[in-house]
Amino acid sequence: MNSNLPNTPSDPLTREILSALADGELAGAEFAVALEACQRDGDAAFASWSSYHLIGDVLRSPASGLRVADAQFLARFNQRLNSPLSQPFGGQAYAQDSKAYSADLEPVAQKIQPAMVSGPDRRAASNDGSFRWKLVAGFASLAAVTSVAWNISGLSSPASTGQLAQAQLPLQQVLVASPQGPVLRDARLEELLAAHRQLGGRSALQEPSGFLRNATFENDGRR
Amino acid sequence: MNFVAAEALPAAAIPTAPAALALEATSINEWLMRMQEASRKRAYIGTYVVTFGGNMSSAKIWHVCEGDQQMERVETLTGAPRSIFRHNDRVVTFMPESKVVRSEKRESLGMFPDLLQSTDGRIADYYKLKPEGVDRVAGVAVNVVVLAPKDSMRFGYRVWTEQKQGLVVKLQTLDTDGKVLEQAAFSELQLDAPVRMDKLLHMMGKTDGYKLEQQPVLVKTTASAEGWVLKAPVAGFKPMSCYKRPAGASGSAAQDQPLQWIFSDGLASVSIFVEPLDRQRHDRESSMSMGATQTMSRQLGAYWLTVVGEVPMATLQLFASGLERKK
Repeated sequence: MNSNLPNTPSDPLTREILSALADGELAGAEFAVALEACQRDGDAAFASWSSYHLIGDVLRSPASGLRVADAQFLARFNQRLNSPLSQPFGGQAYAQDSKAYSADLEPVAQKIQPAMVSGPDRRAASNDGSFRWKLVAGFASLAAVTSVAWNISGLSSPASTGQLAQAQLPLQQVLVASPQGPVLRDARLEELLAAHRQLGGRSALQEPSGFLRNATFENDGRR
Repeated sequence: MNFVAAEALPAAAIPTAPAALALEATSINEWLMRMQEASRKRAYIGTYVVTFGGNMSSAKIWHVCEGDQQMERVETLTGAPRSIFRHNDRVVTFMPESKVVRSEKRESLGMFPDLLQSTDGRIADYYKLKPEGVDRVAGVAVNVVVLAPKDSMRFGYRVWTEQKQGLVVKLQTLDTDGKVLEQAAFSELQLDAPVRMDKLLHMMGKTDGYKLEQQPVLVKTTASAEGWVLKAPVAGFKPMSCYKRPAGASGSAAQDQPLQWIFSDGLASVSIFVEPLDRQRHDRESSMSMGATQTMSRQLGAYWLTVVGEVPMATLQLFASGLERKK
């Protein structure tokens, strides 16, 4: 286990945290705490995220040249992702959007001199041609999961685009798979919801609608 | 019962008040009975889609009835693959990804006629049946009605039923502003499909290679026996049952398991869960909305309450604030 990973939500966001997050090394409580750190240090997080991926790109690309996403473009993209979430689960929509955006990244060219880059030799998290899309998709799902987690933690919606307020993620949050992408849910609440569906359906509409609706929708993440 | 007569009722001459109410109760209950009978008796295969907010989940459904036996098979098409079989009140869920199978008995299924009897005219006291004309859904001609709540403590429903026999093909749950919270509908439907009960029963029993997940045997109790009372009853909602979970469901002791107290107004149900306060886990009061289902959690003295139901949040709050330890 990386000892640089945060133990409490108030630990500062570090590059180690971000790189572990970007490489998908975090899970469960560590993941939740890392997201919380990202939310707090919004700007720093974005800058670090960009440079992390830039470093990775340089190390993986041929020496002849490198394209990097225009920071302004990514900022606008970020804003679009964080714009009003009327529904708790938005991962599906975001993933589809990011495919369109990745095509836009190509024409934005800016050469980087590899000599200027310094940084540890990160193991190749991905070495296929779709890495760029994965970057965008990864960013999209990060933003989506962050927003979802925030909505679920019971606070009011974001005050303005791109500016996520302080949100303490409660303990006992689990990351569950759902058709909308990864979603943070309270494990106990999931059990109670299942119990309500199982026993609580005393309704004239239960057969067939209530039962079918619960059976179709029940996605409690239990595998 | 001729559905057209029930539809024509509101336009007829107005009888005296008590008679009018009795007729109203009869018509709503009759409509519900007819809908129920059709849903049980008609064999069909269809694709069922549940939507709320930006989410969509769908499943393929098979349904058949033989005598007093009912069988359903649900294959989820979205998210985790699941095969759910229902035979009367027994439900078996196969989870192929984890090779786990769950078997449970669901009291709420198959209790409908009794439910109507126990609620008497209660559904008619709190909901009004309003016809809304005709339409076409999933290729079949349908009648549309709204079950409109008479107060703001419950949701409304818009129901599309197939004209010949009354099978529900589409159902919307409406919030207090009439906005659609959630919709469940067949996107395609094959009526009187050749579904074989024996084949489905055979599939339901094929648990080889699956690990049976033991369902905890729930202990039926009463809230009163457990020391709880709802000091201010919520209009229309009657307590239906109360369950205790035994020890060991997830490694914890019996007294840590939540007590579940279930209420219903005939169309909607609410579960109050009470468990001892655990400061580690219960650190924030919250509320959540998922389509028609609303939930809220909060502290009550040395306990933690979670209230779940297909009712407005304000109604959940009424339940939460009305719950009290017996003196």
